[in-house]
Amino acid sequence: MAKYAITGAQAAVSGSYKTVLDVFATSGSLRRGKVFDVLIGTNGTPADNYLQWDISRMTADGTGSAVTPNPLDPADVAALATAKSNYTAEPTIAANSSLFNVGVNQRASYRWVAAPGSELLFPAVAGNGLALRALSGGYTGSATGDFMYEEQ
Amino acid sequence: MRRPGGYACVTDPDGGRQECDTFTCAHCNRLTHVEPRQKPEDVGGLCRACMGLICRWCVGRACVPFLKKLDQMEARERALRSYGL
Repeated sequence: MAKYAITGAQAAVSGSYKTVLDVFATSGSLRRGKVFDVLIGTNGTPADNYLQWDISRMTADGTGSAVTPNPLDPADVAALATAKSNYTAEPTIAANSSLFNVGVNQRASYRWVAAPGSELLFPAVAGNGLALRALSGGYTGSATGDFMYEEQ
Repeated sequence: MRRPGGYACVTDPDGGRQECDTFTCAHCNRLTHVEPRQKPEDVGGLCRACMGLICRWCVGRACVPFLKKLDQMEARERALRSYGL
């Protein structure tokens, strides 16, 4: 079971959720995924604003920039899942599917690490995955997010 | 908490760190932060059927382990593909 790191950013945070980073099962090469590490922050001009972060289930892709998952072990094969960041047209988010919702000061960073067996899972179903999104009432700069995940 | 399912850490700009344990719900996979000395009933509970920690939204609902739900989603996908849909 190979593990991968993906990094992403959202260039223009706004008052509605924008997807910073996502990972989802790719049609034709389906594999279940487990997100076990989440790191979020901002890299814009420092100020005191809140950012509300959310990880929800997505069921279909939108328009974003492709991200190549990096294997944590260089001997592992390339990832089968698709990862994207900096969405300009949001992916389809399943209703009431939020798995993680936390408000963080713009100046702060947040990291969550799962113990084995307590990861955030996504099924081996085409287009299904996990989307990391952010919104802010005052911040319009760039937000960054990293995932580490495992393909089963 | 005893045997946490994860760990969360917020690093403030002044160098301060706030840390807490987490667990993921065995029924819906939602992440729950557990503050120190928080009452167990405030964060969810233990499902006596699957013996997994569950979030407060899943307390009182039927036990359907999340791994079973994933299996059902994937079985549906396989069936649809076999029908050419």
